[in-house]
Parts: sequence; structure tokens; C-alpha cells
Amino acid sequence: MSSCTAKTNVSLTSQDFIDIVLSKTQRKTPTVVHKQYKISRIRQFYMRKVKFSQQTFHDKLSTILTDFPKLDDIHPFYADLMNVLYDKDHYKLALGQINIALHLIDNVSKDYVRLLKYGDSLYRCKQLKKAALGRMATIMKRQAQSLQYLEQVRQHLSRLPSIDPNTRTLLICGFPNVGKSSFINKITRADVEVQPYAFTTKSLFVGHTDHRYLRWQVVDTPGILDHPLEDRNTIEMQAIAALAHLRAAILYVMDISEQCGHTIEQQVALFESIKPLFANKPLLVVLNKTDVIRLEELNPEQKALIQGFINDDIPVMEMSTFSEEGVMNVKTEACERLLSHRIEVKIKSKKVEGILNRLHVALPKPRDGCTRPAFVPEKVIEKRLEKGPKIKKKTERDLEVELEDDYSLDLKKNYDLPADFKYDVIPEFWEGKNIADYIDPDIMAKLEELEREEELRVESGVYEKEEEEMDDEEKEIHRLAGKIREKKAIIAIEGRIGRSGGAPVMPRAGRKRERSVSRLRSEFEELGVDMSNKSGAHFSRTKSRSASRPPIKKARADSAGRVSSSSRVTPRDQSGIRNVELKAKAKKMGHKAQGKMNQFGKAGEADRHIAVKMPRHLYSGKRGIGKTDRR
Amino acid sequence: MRIEKCYFCSSNVWPGHGMVFVRNDCKIFRFCRSKCKNAFKKKKNPRKTKWTKAFRKSAGKDLAIDPSFEFEKRRNVPVKYDRDLWQKSVEAMKKVEIIRCRRQALHINNRHSKSKEVQRRSDNYEVTKNMGLIRSPAAGLKQLATQLDGEKDMSLVSSKFKQMESRVVEEVHDSDREMDVE
Repeated sequence: MSSCTAKTNVSLTSQDFIDIVLSKTQRKTPTVVHKQYKISRIRQFYMRKVKFSQQTFHDKLSTILTDFPKLDDIHPFYADLMNVLYDKDHYKLALGQINIALHLIDNVSKDYVRLLKYGDSLYRCKQLKKAALGRMATIMKRQAQSLQYLEQVRQHLSRLPSIDPNTRTLLICGFPNVGKSSFINKITRADVEVQPYAFTTKSLFVGHTDHRYLRWQVVDTPGILDHPLEDRNTIEMQAIAALAHLRAAILYVMDISEQCGHTIEQQVALFESIKPLFANKPLLVVLNKTDVIRLEELNPEQKALIQGFINDDIPVMEMSTFSEEGVMNVKTEACERLLSHRIEVKIKSKKVEGILNRLHVALPKPRDGCTRPAFVPEKVIEKRLEKGPKIKKKTERDLEVELEDDYSLDLKKNYDLPADFKYDVIPEFWEGKNIADYIDPDIMAKLEELEREEELRVESGVYEKEEEEMDDEEKEIHRLAGKIREKKAIIAIEGRIGRSGGAPVMPRAGRKRERSVSRLRSEFEELGVDMSNKSGAHFSRTKSRSASRPPIKKARADSAGRVSSSSRVTPRDQSGIRNVELKAKAKKMGHKAQGKMNQFGKAGEADRHIAVKMPRHLYSGKRGIGKTDRR
Repeated sequence: MRIEKCYFCSSNVWPGHGMVFVRNDCKIFRFCRSKCKNAFKKKKNPRKTKWTKAFRKSAGKDLAIDPSFEFEKRRNVPVKYDRDLWQKSVEAMKKVEIIRCRRQALHINNRHSKSKEVQRRSDNYEVTKNMGLIRSPAAGLKQLATQLDGEKDMSLVSSKFKQMESRVVEEVHDSDREMDVE
């Protein structure tokens, strides 16, 4: 429906129109003006408002005018249809009124702008602007009626069926209730209302159908009654307009059972009266409702009337939309006729030269006189004859229809397997493995090989476990080793305990009694030595604290022979050592023990070690006073 | 329905579990859980990740090459369904499983047995070197002395002494001998 829609989406009553324009003026133009401004500025301010509202009115009204189709510019079919539906004069009048309103508004604004040029105060300018806008508003108010009518026209126009007047069309006409709408329902996907009363179809309906890979329009008209043109109402006039302007194949549908309420004579009479409309159009007379009565069963007068058609070279066809016989034939016949008619017209037109120049049917030039028909080998011909007529295979659907409730879809029916295998349930998994991965035609052979190999292995004793239980000796060693490891771990932990904290350590001289007799006793008891009765031992103190014997002052000399008086603490290299040889030995042992560590080159106790390379208190923070140049 | 193998850890991915990642070169990676998927996204090498099957096989911890593994193979040639074949295959599968388990266990046991040797050696070393941490050489001397008090026969004394020594430090001789053998 490209030629005939009103494109405006928004419908406006005149009041809405005014409101919209005025509020737009208020929003889109500056709003503030004071009386102390320069007069030119004040004038400018109000002139702008007047001009702005004039512009808005102008724009909106001109869009309305352009959106509505001009009856002279569109296809005569649509012009006629619109005339029938909306009355050409009324339509033109309404649009004319809008046009007048447009010009009036323009004039108003021109006048008032001219007056504003001479306004001498804010108050006067304001009044002029008020008057201008007021007059424009009244002009619009007077257009209320036209606007309303145009709105209705627009809505109806948008709902008209989209009929392309230039493409292939079949037009169905006839008396009311003969079966035109049922026919269109049958051949297209249109869903036109079919009812027993007359004038069920009140306007034109379009459906589309296909024939020879082309799209065909099928137009259904309201029924026409047999009376002169002047007496026709709007509904019939639509049909007449369609008949008059569309270049289509006409299907004149007749009801030979006379169920529509009109006799065959009346229908033929109608045909004669609208015959002038069928000029230059392929025509087809269709006899409907043959399920009720057939052509042969008619009485001779009626048959003679029908015969009259045939004599006039008008093809007559039978069909029944109820039982669907002959419907497709009618359609094909009508389409073929229209197609050949259109080709004829095209050939007669001037453009045909251009088309024919572009068409060229190429036929290969025969090389010699011998004919070369299609070759089919004899065997194939024999086979074809042998095959016999095509037997229609029984489909699942047929089976379903036959069995009705008992039918169940069995997808395994046609499997190419022996009957008892077909419905087997196949296991998929076992113990986290896919069974399908093990399926192999050679699996039994491979299994045998594997089992043989396994037997060999078992025989050769690969699986004999030499348990090798530990004998008592070994058990004892293992136990002792465990104890030793335990003791080592304890020593290591105890050593670590002393290191942590960073608490200040008293020097050796200040430490009290680390090495005591009781400690010695307990340690050696742990190691299994019997420490009872060690009265005469070196480590036990003899009670020599009697006052009778004065203490013998001995000059103590250290390892180098230097005498130091009253040194309380025995130097480290002498404490706990019995004699000089042992001391030398101990020294040597000490030296040797260091060798391993030195060889590795690891840092020892005596090596400098900085635990925290960048202590935060030295490297961060601001000075309370002074600079942070150097830290 | 199929049980797939996780690309990362080679465990079973049952239907409805895990995640599938399809790369732009159309290679499909299946994962059993997000642990494996996230490790993959972090570009971890399954052959270097200790807990995966790939590592265990490549490092020789689990049995990797064995004829019993040839039975489970994804075959792309479909075999027409035959009930006897399937039944036999299921039974064969069970037998193969038994054999395979036995062989895997053997492999692992062989591996573990070497540690016994190592253990024994370290025990011997400890006892030889560090026996002093739990038992002083002087333990039991007093008892011996009381026993040998008044013994005229020096040979008895020496034998008794030896006995006592041997009782406690017997193992030391053994380990010494073993160390010589090395």
C-alpha cells in the first residue's frame, strides 16, 4: 500500500494542537525580560516569540497537508475508492481549510511583527504578542472539525487492504452470498468472514496465492445487487470501483442452487448490466455450489442461459467451495487466462521492441540430417515395465490412523539386526570404564594371549612376595634408631629455645650453677649409668669445709703458665678436662670439627650477620626538626 | 554417553560433570572440576604437577607401559551390535581388569621395596654413630665390676666383659661388617 497512507503517526485535536505549540513556544524561547532592558531588546524578545509560534504552526500544518495523499496524484483505483469511502469533495474541502488556516496564521504573524517594531514599552509589546498568539489560536480552534475528519480519514486509510493495482490480480464478483469469500478462503490464506446473511463482506479483501512460481493477488468484493448505478450504496460502490479500475481477471461467481436467494435469471441479468465493466479483461464464469445441484440437473431454460455464456466465448466452469472439487481448476484456468492476456497486451505495447531485443531463444544448428533422440537402454525400459504400477507404501501416519489409541512409536522397528537383538538394552559403563571402548572383534584372541602371558609370569614367580620380615636384631636396631632420632630432635629444639627472644644474656661468670652435681647425676641416670654410691667420685664434693684446715692458696697458672690470682671461673678450655693430654686432644677435635663448615664456606657464629638490612626507624619518617638529607 | 578423561589429572569425568573448553584450533579440553580447569588456565604443566596421573606415569611411579592397557582404546570404527560379542567383551573386560590391577600393584610394591634397603642402612648408621645419645658406654659397668669382683680367672673376666659388650653393642659389629662390604 505504498501510494496511499497518511504518514502522520500522531493525531491531534485542535485543542491539543494549540497547547502543544504554545508550550513549545514557552520552552524554546527565552523567558526572562525586564522593563529596564533596552527597548530594542524587548521588541526582539517578543518578536521572536511570535515568529516562533508562527513557524511551529506552519510546520505542523504543512506536514499534515503533505502527508495526506492528493487524489489527483494517486492511482485512479485508489482515487475512486477514496471518493467512495470519504467523499472527494469533503476531503478536498478539509484539506483546503487547513491550507487557508496556514496562510492566515502566516499573515497574522507578519502583521503583528510589523506592529511590534513600533512598540514603545514592555507592556505594549507584551500585549501585541498576546494578541498575535491569541489570534493564531482562534484560527486553529475553527479548524477543529476538519482536523477531526482528517484524523478519521487517516485511521481508515491505514486499514485499507494493500492492493497493488499493477500486478496480476483475480477479481471475484457476483451477487451477495454466492460463495465469493469461501472461494478466496479456499485458495489463499485470507480468513474472510463467511456467514449466511447477505453483505457479510462489507469492503474489499485481498489474499495472495501462487501459480507457476508467481504471486497472484485475489481480491474479494462485497456482493453487488442489480439496480442502476445511482442507487448503489457505498459498499457496492467499492466493488464497482475495483471492477472499473483494476486490470484483473474477473471471476463472476454464480450460485446455481439459488441458495443465495436469487434465481439464475437474475444473476444472468446482473451480469449483462455490469458487462461494460468487463471490457478488455479476461472473464470467467464460475458456477458454485455444485455439491447441491449439478449443471446437468438444471432445467432446460436455465441451461440455455448458461449456454448463452458459452456461445459468447466466455468459459464456464463448475466448482464447489464446500466439497472443494473444481476449486483448483478454476484458479489455474483464471491464472492462465490472465497470464496470456497480459502477455498479449505487452506485445502490443511500444515497450515490446525493447524486451524482444533482449530476448533470444538459442537453438543449436543441426549439424547433419540424422536425428538424435534420447537414448534409454533396453534393459532399463524392460525394468521399468517390470516394476509395475507404483505401490503406495504404508506410512507410519497411516498406521497411526489405523491403530488410533493402540499406536506407539517404535523407533527400533526397522533396525537391521536379528529380531531378538533389536530390543536389547545395551550397558554403557562398568566400574568407571566405557564398555564400548573394549568392544573389538579380536578381543577373545587378545585376552587369551594376555592370560597366557600372565600364567607364565605367575609360574616364574614374579608375584612371589619376598616378604622379608625383620628378624629380632633388625627390629632392635630399628627401635634404637628411632629413639636416637627422637633424642636428636629434642636436642635441636632445646637448642633453638635458648636462641629466641633477644633477651639480654648474663655473662658466663654471672650465670649460676648450670653445671651441678645433681644435673650430672640425672643425665647419667638417663643414659643408663648407675650413679648410686659415688661418694669418692671426682665430681662429688668432699666435705672439706671445716674451719680447722685453712684453705691452701694455690698459685693457679693457666695453659701458658701465666699466674692469675683468684680467678674464680675456670677458663673454658680447662673446664671439665682431666689432664693436659686430653686438653690437647679436645683442642684438636675442636679444630677438626670446624673443617667441614669452613669447606662449605657457610657463615658461622663469628661471621657478621645483619638480621634487618633496613630497619624502619632509620629509613623512614620525618624529622621533627632539621633536614632529612642524610640518615 | 561416555565417561571422558580429564585433560589435566586424567580422572574420570562422568556425564553432567566438569567443564569443556574448546580452543580456536578446535582442540577440546575436558576437565573434571574447577581445580583442573583453573590450573590449566594458569598454564600449569600436568606432567610437572605432582598429584596428576600424567606426572605419576612419566615419573615412573605408576605402571605406564603394559599390554593390558591395549584393551581399553577408543575405536572410531563402529562395530555392528552382536549380543554374544558384547557379553564376551564384558566378561573379558573384568578379567583384564583383575590382571591389570595385579600388575600395577606389583610395580608399586617393587618401588616401595627399595626404600626398605635405604631405611635399614640409615638405621645402622644412626646406631653406630650416635648411640651415645641414648646410652653411655659406662652403662652396666658397675654391675659387671661387682660381678667380676674376686674373679681370679682373667679369661672369664674378659669373656664376661665381652659378653656385656656384645649384649649392648652387638649390632655395631654387624654394621661395621656391612660398611666393610661396601
